Amino acid sequence: MKKIPVSYLPLILGVIVLGMPACSKKAVRSGGDMQALQDETVKGGGSKDGTGSSFPDTSFSGRNESNNLRGLDRNPSEERLGGHAGNTGSPGGVGHANAMVAKADSGAGARQLAEIRAEQVASVAAGLRDVFFAYDSFSVTDEGRHALAGDAEWARSNPNAQLKIEGHCDERGTSAYNLVLGEKRAKAVRNYLVELGVAPTYLSVVSYGKERPFCTEHTESCYSQNRRGHLVVKTGK
Amino acid sequence: MAFRVVVFISLCVSIGVGWIIESGAADVFLEATRQDFQKIPLGIAGIENLGGSESPEARVKLGTRIEDVLKADVRRSLVFALVDLPSLGMKVSHLGAEPDPSFKQAAENGVSVIVWGQAGMKSGNKDADLSMDGYVYDAGSNEVVGGKRYVGSASVARLMAHRFADELVFRYTGEPGIARTKIAYVSELGTARELFVMDYDGYDPRQLTADGFLNLMPRWSPDRRFLVFTTYRNRNTQDIDMIELATGKRWTLVAQGGLNITPVFSPDGNSLAYSSSHEGNAELYRLDMKTKAVQRLTTHAAGDLSPSWAPSGRELVFTSDRSGGPQIFLMSADGSNVRRLTFEGDYNAAPVWSPRGNLIAYVCRTPKKEYKLCVITPDGQKRLQLTTGLGVDDSPSWSPDGRHLVFSSTVEGKSQIYMIDADGKDLERITFTGTHNSAPSWSPAS
Repeated sequence: MKKIPVSYLPLILGVIVLGMPACSKKAVRSGGDMQALQDETVKGGGSKDGTGSSFPDTSFSGRNESNNLRGLDRNPSEERLGGHAGNTGSPGGVGHANAMVAKADSGAGARQLAEIRAEQVASVAAGLRDVFFAYDSFSVTDEGRHALAGDAEWARSNPNAQLKIEGHCDERGTSAYNLVLGEKRAKAVRNYLVELGVAPTYLSVVSYGKERPFCTEHTESCYSQNRRGHLVVKTGK
Repeated sequence: MAFRVVVFISLCVSIGVGWIIESGAADVFLEATRQDFQKIPLGIAGIENLGGSESPEARVKLGTRIEDVLKADVRRSLVFALVDLPSLGMKVSHLGAEPDPSFKQAAENGVSVIVWGQAGMKSGNKDADLSMDGYVYDAGSNEVVGGKRYVGSASVARLMAHRFADELVFRYTGEPGIARTKIAYVSELGTARELFVMDYDGYDPRQLTADGFLNLMPRWSPDRRFLVFTTYRNRNTQDIDMIELATGKRWTLVAQGGLNITPVFSPDGNSLAYSSSHEGNAELYRLDMKTKAVQRLTTHAAGDLSPSWAPSGRELVFTSDRSGGPQIFLMSADGSNVRRLTFEGDYNAAPVWSPRGNLIAYVCRTPKKEYKLCVITPDGQKRLQLTTGLGVDDSPSWSPDGRHLVFSSTVEGKSQIYMIDADGKDLERITFTGTHNSAPSWSPAS
């Protein structure tokens, strides 16, 4: 597989694409540890037991024309339009709903950045290496396996470290499907690390799709940087 | 005469749409998406500036601004054809509440509706009240059929034009118009992506979240009060949250571990369809908003995502890679009767069902590996590629009148938001600032 000419790449990609369903099946079968993932955060509304409080009423019985438009009138009465100080008062109208205000939680961004930096520092110190993928593919390449061998060794010698595997995609394709593809990439990395003897309980996966690119140029060299499984030492929660 | 035109058009629309939904008849497709079908010729004789402000420029700007917004709204309505009155030899000024004698002449030249008005500030103070009077002359009856009088602060000048435009559409079609609709979207702030809402024409953007990480893919509740979206709790776990626009209050609807993406309300607002991988791989689920019961809709080893409801609420269209690359599939709302809709190309994703029911828009990958917008009839008989060129088009969302789509594209480099007619005409960019604007979602009409 190593010395196949570049012109055969589309063919190889095709084979990989055809192989997708099979791969996915494997992922499901080998996913005993996914149960752990599933159980870890059940909370809030989605769960059957809920958390007591109910969701606000979102039911909609159909458009109510009288909500807002009052029709043309031969002797129009004055219509006062709400400005930014509130919406137009109708239940269905956003008007200029201004209260749509970001909670001025300026601390959130700074806290996230600080935590991301701490993770970066820890990951660099650990010497973790990332895995890169071909276009449309979530198969770990030989080069990727080589990188993961080193990562697995680090994980085995730091048995208390929690590793997070981030799945990333290049900008081509839709946002939504790239989140699925990113998860497939992250899980492919996770599964290979498990094969190498890393305990699944110390590994978590998250997909960022194409939403957190490492590089923002519209070039193949940039795209190939963004198609990755990124390994991070979890320092926070 | 104008009355007859209206009746003719509404018959066309209702019969046309009904026929397509029922039979998907192939030759009706062109009819329904042809935008030059019998538009109503409408002329804007001007929004005159009244006294009341000491600054002549300010007054000129106000009238001109309102008139420009009104013209753009009328053009985008696709209900009216905007007639250039001066080219018909009409020169009117100082219009009052009465029709000008020249209107009759314009009517004889085929203009069905003439609109004019006045706008003024009540004082020179920036926060002072504005007022706008608008009048509508109907050529059929040769009289002023009605008007509007709006007052408000300087910040609602555009809204006055939007409301007047929607009243015109409502008067002549019975539909509420789209000029007061909103678009929710994602915008990049540093490395974070936050939710914003703007007017449908790209003006007046407002930030909704400030979480400092990723908030993705907002969708409106049918009553326009809420948005649902994917958020990353502690950067590591995806939840589906709902935010109330008027208050900023938030609820977590789904927090199950794994991917939790592409939430979308059913047309009746009682259910939320979404994709989650908490049971292994991405599957579609339906959350009952009243009982919180969750029903699994798909069972397949491949990824299922991006559900979108038929306007009837009885069917869903979604993306699945069960046949290799992603393709568009249909199923009943209970998960039965799954069948593949797209067969052209090896990558089709992000489907959205038109509020009129007759078309499904989606992202199609071309043979040159560009990601462009396509539309297809729900019976798969007719398919049309709407956009061309370089870059990645993504996240199409229908206007509530089903006549336009909004979407993101990197065609000019950075991801920005664009609007296009359902037949591929009138491509219009609506965001111009920022490093990244994406995932637009068009609000329902009110």
